[in-house]
Amino acid sequence: METILAILTVFTQPQLLLLVGVGTFAGIYIGAIPGLSVTMAVSILISFTFSWDVLPAISLMVGIYMGGVYGGSRTAILLNIPGAPSAIATAMDGYPMAQKGEAGQAIGVTTVMSFFGGLIGILVLALAAPFVSEFALTFQPRDYMLLAVLGILLVGSLSSGSLVKGIFAGAFGIAIGAVGRDPLTFAERFTFDFKIMEGGISFIAVMIGMFGVSEALQQLQNVNMKSVRQKIDRIVPSFGTIKKFLPLSLQTSAIGVIIGALPGTGGDIAALMAYDHAKRVTKNPEVPFGKGAMEGLVAPETANNAAVGGAFIPMMTLGIPGDAVTAIMIGALFIHGLNPGPMLMVDQPDMFWFIVGALLTSNVFMLIFGLTGIKIFTKIVEMPRSIIIPLILLLSIVGGYAVNNSITDVYWMLGFGVFGYFMRHYGYPLGPVILGVILSRLLDDNWRRAIISEREDLGRFFEGIVTSPLSLVLFISVILIFVSQTPLWTSMKNRLFGKAMS
Amino acid sequence: MSRKLIGAIVALGLSATFATAQNYPAKEIQGIIQWGAGGSTDTVMRSVTPHAEEALGGTVVMQNMTGAVGAIALNYVLDAEADGYTVLMGAENPLLYKIMGLGDEDYSAFTPINLLARGTPLLVANIDAPFDDYAGMLAYIAENPGELKVGATGPGGLPSVITAMMNTVEGELDVIAVPYDGDGPALTALQGGAIDVMPAVLGAAIEGVRAGNMKPILVFDTETNATLPDVQIATDANAGYETYLPWGPFFGVFVKNGTPDDVVAALTVAYAKGAENEEFVSLMDGRGFTMMNISGQEATEFLTKWQQGTAWLLDDAGLTKASPEEFGIARPGE
Repeated sequence: METILAILTVFTQPQLLLLVGVGTFAGIYIGAIPGLSVTMAVSILISFTFSWDVLPAISLMVGIYMGGVYGGSRTAILLNIPGAPSAIATAMDGYPMAQKGEAGQAIGVTTVMSFFGGLIGILVLALAAPFVSEFALTFQPRDYMLLAVLGILLVGSLSSGSLVKGIFAGAFGIAIGAVGRDPLTFAERFTFDFKIMEGGISFIAVMIGMFGVSEALQQLQNVNMKSVRQKIDRIVPSFGTIKKFLPLSLQTSAIGVIIGALPGTGGDIAALMAYDHAKRVTKNPEVPFGKGAMEGLVAPETANNAAVGGAFIPMMTLGIPGDAVTAIMIGALFIHGLNPGPMLMVDQPDMFWFIVGALLTSNVFMLIFGLTGIKIFTKIVEMPRSIIIPLILLLSIVGGYAVNNSITDVYWMLGFGVFGYFMRHYGYPLGPVILGVILSRLLDDNWRRAIISEREDLGRFFEGIVTSPLSLVLFISVILIFVSQTPLWTSMKNRLFGKAMS
Repeated sequence: MSRKLIGAIVALGLSATFATAQNYPAKEIQGIIQWGAGGSTDTVMRSVTPHAEEALGGTVVMQNMTGAVGAIALNYVLDAEADGYTVLMGAENPLLYKIMGLGDEDYSAFTPINLLARGTPLLVANIDAPFDDYAGMLAYIAENPGELKVGATGPGGLPSVITAMMNTVEGELDVIAVPYDGDGPALTALQGGAIDVMPAVLGAAIEGVRAGNMKPILVFDTETNATLPDVQIATDANAGYETYLPWGPFFGVFVKNGTPDDVVAALTVAYAKGAENEEFVSLMDGRGFTMMNISGQEATEFLTKWQQGTAWLLDDAGLTKASPEEFGIARPGE
């Protein structure tokens, strides 16, 4: 009974309800603008809400977080610029849909599925938080490394054309991610003695350049082409559509919660893994992946919103942040006089349930705000190219600058934009580059941690993999996925099943 | 409208030409935080600054600028005008940049406004570790050479200093140092069993200790800690630690050398008031930080002593890129 009361605290005070609503609304737009991140918004809010009570402050932050993760999909679908790293996979099928005049439908499905994923994440947080956090803690460095290898193997599903070109792009991304002072030893890597390289290359700048600027350059080629008329009927997906995607969305939500709950991985990796999962389990999509498949929207969007609930799991149960945003929220709780840590659930269970309630409320607001105004948004795609191209460039430059308030990032962004344009031109996929940058450090740091822990002995390292059930499962998955992507396997499969068929 | 604009231009011009206490602050002050959002430095700065703002009658806009162990933020403030409108909010790390080969500048190019507080290092162990105290740990290391995994955060970080201290006092300990990005991720790994022990700042580990998720082994201080009165202190375990303790990371607010004296004075008064605020003090106590709230000559002396002690400790342990001698850092006591 007290639990229910704590969940409903949001509704008993109109002020809190309003703040969650305002936060969600603002979050959607912060998320939609590339370069403005939820992490940034929440850290600014810490100072801004300093003199407030803890509940209103948390309400606003929760709203922004939930809205922001969803908002990233907007610009991904409409302009092919993911507003946030977690929306990269969304762009891959969302933008082709917009180009076919189905932007409204794409946003509709995205919104409903984000709501669904968010809901699953919150439910797991509410019902199973202690179990999930215990599971998340069992991940050793070698498991994180195997997870990163598993992620790298997604290159196959992110490259539509040649696998070799995909592997090249992925390796290039890993190299970009390694630039700068190595955080473990502070040794300089790929800096060529330039001071500006020491801090590394901002991954957001790479992302905005590769997607945004290269898109603008691409469109320059046919400036006078008529833009596609958008169909604006059937924006809210039918019940039948939702039912059809239910099994897939449950699976991808599960991926989202687990990846979100792991300290060290977040919504971006969850969304990419979910996209890959969808591609693997969907045998006959109505539209091929990469050309505007609905499944390609459902999977990443359920996963990244489910990761929100997931990220709160270690934060609320152990005081360990599940991602960058929850790390700042821990700081906020601390400033407001609470002691975020394992005892929070015991000493102040109301706080836990209040956050669950605020998340639920924010999720509903997200659905409402997301589904209203879609018609106006789809007009963006209908605008003439001569307006859209400068708009994309402007948005990219502002976004590139906003990441660190640094003009250097804008140069990086423009440079990678031009480079990305040529990559597209010669048929190199851009997705794997971003994947490589995201996973570079996860792979590199954890591989070194794992092997250092075993006294740099490969034998002991493999012994560790074989004796730990979790590592073994991950290792076998890596092997299976790897083998299934090699030409050898395809030919073997053809021979075996080909015979059976005839 | 146009009158407002003229007013703004005049104000801007004034602030640029006479940065005096009468009109300081005439615009927003930029506070550059060396470390990421949610970390200890960030939290401390974001909790004290609103109180200092009140005393100052101005606004401090805080921004996290991470990278290269805080060197990016330090260089950013050094590149800005010495007018008191760009303030560095940092931790102890810059004092080691020179000997670690991380940069050519340290706090000697800055005027300390306030050294707010220092942290006490605490050695914690995984809850299932096969020992419960410091002596037990040393015995375990002796029996199982090269097996104990100790968390680290890179050269110059707190764990590297504490490990160097232990190696100097107890003789070389044969352990594995596993590097992490910071004490947060390392303490997470400790709870998951990926590492066995971790030297961390008390504030970061205290909640885990209170909840019984990790074991406190040794407090690196010369006096019993009020937060953990039952845990052995280093100088009791081995008198050899007296040479190096008390030692701990600290948090401070700095402006570039050459900032007008009245501006320094205004900021110093404001942050001293902010650091006296009851809410802030109780917050720091709760996290196990020791309040310092020192400025001026006292702060400069503290910085010099800290740098000498730590630099030579790391140099003797063979962890530095360049000898402290090269930068005129004298051996403590010389």
